[in-house]
Amino acid sequence: MTVSAVLAVASLAVTTVPAQAAEVGVSSTEIKFGMTLPMTGTASPGYNKIPAAVKAYFEYVNANGGINGRKLTLVVKDDQYVPTQAVAKTNELILKDKVMALLAPLGTANNKAVASVVNPGRRGIPVLFVNTGFSGFADKKKYPTTFSVLPSYIMEAKIMSEYIKDNFDGKKLGLIYQDDDFGDDALAGFKQAGINFAVKVPYASGSQSGTTAAGWVQKLQAGGAEVVILFGVSSATAAALGTAAVLKYAPQWILGSVGGDATTIKAAGVPAGVLYNAVGASFAPATTDTTDEYVKLFQDIYLKANPTQTFDNNVMIGMNTAFLTAQAIQAAGKNPTRKSLIAAIEKSGSTFASAALVPLNYSSTSHIGYNGYWFGKYSPTGDLKPAGGVYTVYTTDSADGAVVKSTYKRAAMPAKGLPN
Amino acid sequence: MHRFQKSNKLLLFIAFGFILFLLSNRVDELRVYQGASIAVYVIAISSIILLTGYSGQVSLGHGALLAIGAYSAAVARNEFNVPVVLCFFIAVLAAAFGGVLLGVAAARLTGPYLAGATLALAIGLPSLANQFTILGGEQGLIFDVGFPPLSLGEDFTQYKWFFWISALAALISMWLLSNVLRSRFGQNWRAGRSHEVAAQLAGINTGRSKILAFTISAGVAGLSGALLSMTIGTVSPSAFPLALSFSLLTGAVLSGVTTLSGVMIGAVTLVAIPEIADVIANRIGASERITTNLPGLIVSTLLIITVLFVPHGPVEQHRSRKAKKLLQKKN
Repeated sequence: MTVSAVLAVASLAVTTVPAQAAEVGVSSTEIKFGMTLPMTGTASPGYNKIPAAVKAYFEYVNANGGINGRKLTLVVKDDQYVPTQAVAKTNELILKDKVMALLAPLGTANNKAVASVVNPGRRGIPVLFVNTGFSGFADKKKYPTTFSVLPSYIMEAKIMSEYIKDNFDGKKLGLIYQDDDFGDDALAGFKQAGINFAVKVPYASGSQSGTTAAGWVQKLQAGGAEVVILFGVSSATAAALGTAAVLKYAPQWILGSVGGDATTIKAAGVPAGVLYNAVGASFAPATTDTTDEYVKLFQDIYLKANPTQTFDNNVMIGMNTAFLTAQAIQAAGKNPTRKSLIAAIEKSGSTFASAALVPLNYSSTSHIGYNGYWFGKYSPTGDLKPAGGVYTVYTTDSADGAVVKSTYKRAAMPAKGLPN
Repeated sequence: MHRFQKSNKLLLFIAFGFILFLLSNRVDELRVYQGASIAVYVIAISSIILLTGYSGQVSLGHGALLAIGAYSAAVARNEFNVPVVLCFFIAVLAAAFGGVLLGVAAARLTGPYLAGATLALAIGLPSLANQFTILGGEQGLIFDVGFPPLSLGEDFTQYKWFFWISALAALISMWLLSNVLRSRFGQNWRAGRSHEVAAQLAGINTGRSKILAFTISAGVAGLSGALLSMTIGTVSPSAFPLALSFSLLTGAVLSGVTTLSGVMIGAVTLVAIPEIADVIANRIGASERITTNLPGLIVSTLLIITVLFVPHGPVEQHRSRKAKKLLQKKN
């Protein structure tokens, strides 16, 4: 019995592995990307719309002939915003699905765990446009194949601090933040800008709920916070706003970009009226601004593919990421490899067309993407709009650089919104 | 005769190890990674088999013991820069110590009370990590065993390194366990499990014997916890959910709780379930919610089916059927 088992295993051992293709994830007809993000679980609301957004744009590109005749495809894995799951799922993407590159994996802690175990950097696997603003991921030495895209949380906090000084000077400030690297990055930015908080409320990732939010509100009220910054994921923002409304606590809210998507907040049951007059930030045009050529095109593409959904900020950023990806693949040459893809972004990434109102900062020495924000207020229907209808964009860096008014002018969209 | 059998067994383990070594150089990376997971599960499940099948104590909270091992290994590595090999020993010792404490309490409890106590541990212990900054909160700690030594060659992958480490650990612990189970201690455990009063009359201190079983089982669980966190690179409360404890228990039931030799069945099944779930989800085009929950559903279903139809596990069932046939032939 045992002997036969041993023999069976031994015979398995002699069978050989098939030969590898030219580049993993690239065939003559297809280029495969992989994404991990929370599709289910506490942190998933809002972000779980991103894959459909990316796929909608990819399908649009594919319907228009693909990139050099190859279709772009996306494999999505649900990590429930749990780092251990992110590691397991990323392993699957690389080993089983054999993707060419990881695309927009979401979450600071998740990306850190993946970087240390799966170690795409050491294996030369590109990690494009990570969906986190943790400033550390732009460190090319530590994460050689990773490209940031979102402005860092430090940048966001610095620019937000400027806005606070201009508009709410002398008011008592409160802050709700996620108690991990995501929150620490924000704290670093506020400290840099010399902002002091009367009340600071950290929450553990995954602990956000109506019940815990009641505790947050109590602390903020006790501390007399007049202006409260919500620097967490969408579900935390929604929990804080919803609970505060029930408890009749109405400070001036300022929403961080991560949790500032109005559709997600409203979908969680927060009335639009609660959002009204809250301050929010974005680096892309307002999603309701259909006079913007990108908003119009992306909205058309997305709603055609997902007619029952709402076009929101998560969707727009997702489609913009897909648009950048298509350009990167185009720039990586006729037969793109992992190496040529990374080289292409370093070489010409800063000239990629994009919907954002701030520049991309890629170069052979920088993996920093966008570096600025505009601030606006939510309308009575809960849509974020720039003050006075004009986007005033500020840029800065993740170090001690000043916050400056941007002079960046976005280039016109390439024909049909396709890479040229 | 007995001596011959023993050395024969050792040879078998070495031969099996050699085949695994050859195999790891042949199959692709995904299989190697899954092999590492199987090795980790083999160790974890065998610790449950020892406790439940041999000493007759129930633990619904083995995940907590895995967590103790994992956290102590990670803290030793990160805070004190202890060499990796020693980290695994520390994991064993720390978890074994937890096992002693738990065992002392467990020796006074039986049946549902013991199950309840261990269940509470599984729920409570991992969230303790949020109370101490040294344990890294919800985000947890990185547990990095480092790159494979360069002497193994440029192409030697991280996964293969994980596999070698965990497979070696599994082989060694299985060999040690199979010897312990055949020793006086193993016989005492079985005697206590079958009839506690009779065992006591025969001069066995059943209380002490139970505590010893808990200690060894916990130590083994601690080792698997450290190995588990090695393969996922991090230690965090979310790595040791209640579902892990239940999966391991299911693995043990599938393997047959009373026989160590079936342990591979449970381990392979646990690694295969997510794959099967994936295939099913793709086939029926299921939504994300279903895809995420399907593995848990399969685990639970398997547990129920096994308990209903092969309560002692397939290996034991096969054996008893053989024995019955033999008996019929004789008659």
